[in-house]
Amino acid sequence: MSAAVRGSSGGRTRQGGGRARGKGDGRALGAPRFARVRAGAEGTPLQVDGRPIEAVRESWLIEDRWWTGRPLRRRYWEVLSASGRNLVVFHDLCTGEWFAQGG
Amino acid sequence: MRAAGTAKQATGTPPYAELHCHSAYSFLDGASQPDELADSAAQLGYTALALTDHNSVSGSMELAQIAPTHGLRAIHGAEIDLADGRHITLLVREARGWRNLCRVLTHAHAGTREGPGRERGEPTVALATVLEHAGGLVCLTGCATRGVHDEPTARRLLDAFGPCDLRVELQRPYARRDRARNRALEMLARGLGVECVATGNVHAHARCRAELQDAFVALRHHMTLDASEPLRRPNHSHVMATPAAMAARFAEHPRAVRASVSLAEELSFDLTSELGYSYPGAEDPTSMRRLAELCHARLHERYGLRAARGATAFEEAAARLEEELRIIDELGLAGFFLLHHELLELAREIAAEVRGADSASALLAPGRGRGSSVSSIVCYLTGLSHIDPIANRLLLGRFLHTGLEHLPDIDLDFPRDIREVLIPRIHERYGRERSALVAAFPTFRPRGAIRELGKVLGLPPAEIEHAARAAEHHLAASEHRLGISEDRDGAASSAPAPRGPASDRSPRGPTSDRSRAARSPRWVWLERLVAEAQRLPRHLSQHSGGMVLATRPLIDCCPIVPAAMESRQMVQWDKDSCADAGLLKIDLLGLGMLSAVERCVDLIAQARGERIDLSRIPYDDAETFKAIRRADTVGVFQIESRAQMQSLKRTLPRDLDDLTIQVAIVRPGPIQGGAINPYIERRRRLREDPDYEIPYTHPALKPVLEATLGTVIFQDQVMEVAQAFAGFTTSEAEGLRRAMSRKRSQEALQSHRERFLDGARRHVGADGATALQVWEMVSGFAGFGFPKAHGAAFGLLAYQSTWLRVHYGPELLCALLNEQPMGFYAPDSLIHEAEGRSIPMLPPDVNASAVECTVEEGGVRLGLGYVKGAAVADVRALVAEREHGGSFRSPGELAARCGAARATLERLAWSGACDGIVETAGYGLSGTAEQVTEIDGPSARNARGRAVDTETARTRRRLALWQLGIAAPGRAVARGTQLALPLELPAAPRLRPLSRWQKLLADYASTGVTIGDHVMAALRPRLTAHKLATSAQLARLPQGSAVSVAGLVIARQRPGTAHGTMFLLFEDEWGTINLIVPRAVYERYRPLARAEPLLLAHGRLERTAGETVRAIREVADGDGERVPPVVNVVVRELLALERFVASEDAPVAAQVHRLPTVGAGLRAVAPAVQSFAAGRRR
Repeated sequence: MSAAVRGSSGGRTRQGGGRARGKGDGRALGAPRFARVRAGAEGTPLQVDGRPIEAVRESWLIEDRWWTGRPLRRRYWEVLSASGRNLVVFHDLCTGEWFAQGG
Repeated sequence: MRAAGTAKQATGTPPYAELHCHSAYSFLDGASQPDELADSAAQLGYTALALTDHNSVSGSMELAQIAPTHGLRAIHGAEIDLADGRHITLLVREARGWRNLCRVLTHAHAGTREGPGRERGEPTVALATVLEHAGGLVCLTGCATRGVHDEPTARRLLDAFGPCDLRVELQRPYARRDRARNRALEMLARGLGVECVATGNVHAHARCRAELQDAFVALRHHMTLDASEPLRRPNHSHVMATPAAMAARFAEHPRAVRASVSLAEELSFDLTSELGYSYPGAEDPTSMRRLAELCHARLHERYGLRAARGATAFEEAAARLEEELRIIDELGLAGFFLLHHELLELAREIAAEVRGADSASALLAPGRGRGSSVSSIVCYLTGLSHIDPIANRLLLGRFLHTGLEHLPDIDLDFPRDIREVLIPRIHERYGRERSALVAAFPTFRPRGAIRELGKVLGLPPAEIEHAARAAEHHLAASEHRLGISEDRDGAASSAPAPRGPASDRSPRGPTSDRSRAARSPRWVWLERLVAEAQRLPRHLSQHSGGMVLATRPLIDCCPIVPAAMESRQMVQWDKDSCADAGLLKIDLLGLGMLSAVERCVDLIAQARGERIDLSRIPYDDAETFKAIRRADTVGVFQIESRAQMQSLKRTLPRDLDDLTIQVAIVRPGPIQGGAINPYIERRRRLREDPDYEIPYTHPALKPVLEATLGTVIFQDQVMEVAQAFAGFTTSEAEGLRRAMSRKRSQEALQSHRERFLDGARRHVGADGATALQVWEMVSGFAGFGFPKAHGAAFGLLAYQSTWLRVHYGPELLCALLNEQPMGFYAPDSLIHEAEGRSIPMLPPDVNASAVECTVEEGGVRLGLGYVKGAAVADVRALVAEREHGGSFRSPGELAARCGAARATLERLAWSGACDGIVETAGYGLSGTAEQVTEIDGPSARNARGRAVDTETARTRRRLALWQLGIAAPGRAVARGTQLALPLELPAAPRLRPLSRWQKLLADYASTGVTIGDHVMAALRPRLTAHKLATSAQLARLPQGSAVSVAGLVIARQRPGTAHGTMFLLFEDEWGTINLIVPRAVYERYRPLARAEPLLLAHGRLERTAGETVRAIREVADGDGERVPPVVNVVVRELLALERFVASEDAPVAAQVHRLPTVGAGLRAVAPAVQSFAAGRRR
């Protein structure tokens, strides 16, 4: 897990997350943005921003900063869209919102 | 995921077994106790659970014991740190595997104490060592982050363990690269031709501990939570989940999930039955004969020759001996007793070495038994006990009976010096592989937890400290005090975390008075974490004296790890685990009072030429018992504490039997069982009316509770009541006692309760209410109580030390001062009390003091060793130089001849030890030390009118500081001291004397004690508060008077049994004052009550009438005996005394030194206090 993902750099909007490794400093590009996600029973994303999802590559869970006023609980999904694009989205388990990471 | 499927498995074998699980015995990498894990696992539907703590099996025996009660099978193992930093998981398949695991762990820890200062290092073991010990073990390749994941190493494991006993371990911690890693590992397994197995790497038994685990990781790395992010687990998937959820987690690896179940089934090793341990001597066929011979020989010695005791005593003893030998034979324990005897003989040899064969203390046995073993005549005859069980009517029951399931306990007390030598010597005698100390696990307590976890949460240090100090030390009290309970109630089971901003929650306790802090989620979390951490083991430590011995290498039973102290080693199990394992445990305890008594006997021989054999002193000495009844017992064993003293004046002991009860009565057991007040009241009634009938709760209790007037005071009475009242068998009763004395048996206790109530109805026909009442009496004992035999041993020592106090006061005082720390009172209090009894106390003096305190012309001279900051080597050299080259005549000469560092000289000057040698030419002071206290002048007198402090003396102290400050110290060279020149010092300027207060502070700062003066005596003339009663006046005031008292606090106690009440002990120049601070008052004045050395209290006087003279018929001599009343002040208001002190009338002092205020000055140097925290060492 890259340290930047769960970094302690402050507010949610500035937090990087999920940029693949080896891309140098991910923060500049890594600001998450809202995403429209339709998820299946297990929480698996089926559609992201209208694009159907072909496969799940990996899924991981971040639970951190519970001792602060802004706890962090996110389920990440690295998925492959039907068009062959690699996407990283996460489900904010505190608010129920979905975000897309990067790009 | 964790949340998926919380339903319990319906039927059949669960789809998954947990083979990788950490408990709190992984120390700061595991947040649950083994019993909590077992309980959770059973609830979640597991049928097997492996405990794999880091390099440890400390929790294994606990799991092995508890698991079957949950229908769970315990699997044992450990996660091993390899030398290259990687981890592997080892699981025990069969008995051979357990032996190998223990050996591997012993290797891993062997080098952990090799750093400077024997600091604890990290255990690691070379892979080669593991490979050598592969037999009987199953190896898993280790956890996701640090496991063995490369093929070359895996192949080495394969070669050693074979394909049946190697598994590639798959984990799914919901980290980013899980799937890729597990796919690679599956490939690796295929290449090796071994199976994969899925494990959960559990670190917490329930969701409520998940955060604590995070905090522990930060704590382990000495970091804050914020900073430790890269080291922590990314999420809380380390919480134990259901088997179904775990199977779902590994949906891509169904074979690995199934493999966990099949492997768990294969691992059949049962720790409770397959340890194969026996103690030395167990197999010796001649042991029974040897023991019988030994006992018979001694029987004639002990009972045959004493004509006075008559034939009946001999016959009774002989019959008792036959009975005991029969039981011992039946149980096959002869070797056990011989082994103890052998140890005692070893101690005897050591005693002769340590003390010299002809010292007076050689008459004393080198050790003595305590605990239930004292009740055995075999122990008495073999020297394990010094209490005659026939004369003392001690029943054998608890110690030895045919239903015995565990080895009996024999506790041996030794003087400290002998114990220090004995422990390493036992390692030598029985071999380092066959003997080790027992471990202990210090647990998280509120204060320590607040400090450590507060730091982890990044809270401000000062506020953490404030919260920690405000927290109570006692566990029971803490749950209220921290205000955790209410927070917890609603959230105990499911996810309890305050997810949002926590402003809607209102934490109580340490933070409640600070609203800002209370709003911060970090403070809320501190309370939660502290509550969750309660009672979890913090680290591995050494038990005070328990030792285990074995015939075959102990390292086949339990890993042995080096202890913090040089040449000591311990097993990884605590005393409960050792007992469960059936290991022979001998408690070798160091008892300060035994050392003190020995010193005292030696001092008496030196000072008076009398050789005293404490076993032959009269045990009915009227003066000694009179002192006991008057509670003149400061410094003696056990009956010196505040609570004991108050109780002595009420129980008025007349003989050793009474003392046996007395030492046992002020204990949590009798207190919680409600025994104390009835016992005291019934004794009083009996004194007044010998025909008074004891109201037994039930007639069946009379035979067993007669000696204690119908109350349960001794632990053995618990067993006796269970047998006589509820029809328990001996072993059932023993089971009840064990359940009560152990930490992990609350549930077991409940089952005994049912059995007890039921039995009472059937056995003696008791009605429900009576049965319940008796059960309450008995179960109150779950706290702690003495067995009667232990009471007898301690009562005897209490008597002996009182006897010494009465007849050899200076010697006992001197011995106590030299044996510190021990007992209830700090040296300062011991000295003041002795001065009150007109034992002259002499200040330190470079020309008269030895290193230790000495008896000098009926008084006690403080030793130079008491001078804080003076290097011990310097002081020794000084005394040696004086003995060799004669007295020092001037500071210059002292500095030149003794070669001490300047710091030492300065400390000596501060303490007044150089007052006698200052050069006083031109000051109008006379020259010798002896004259100092005799000089007239503006002297302050202490309460008893003795000149204690003269301006001359105070000038001398100032001069000494000046002169030693400019004197050139000699240089220590290879063969002695090279003199410095010149010896003549230039004249000092005109120096003003220290003020009286400054001198007191200097005394406290330099030696921790004040001699000849008291802070209250010095302050008294300056007090602006009116109508203060002194300790001497209190006893004359009537019940209920409103009083104000002031004093130096010498004890603070807030026992868990007192429901929040605090007890303070004040000392003034006349004596001591007992104060009771009710809970509400305590809470209002908490900071003062807890920390302020000088207090003023307003309150109400409570007193007993004082026993009438004739009440003690048996002992009343001509005039009878006046027993002082018990006087307490019930406090309404507490104030810092410094607010009532007028400024010092010698303004010069303030100009010279800018003195701090009275309170602050004393606070910095106040003597140690008996506190409710840890207490002073006994």
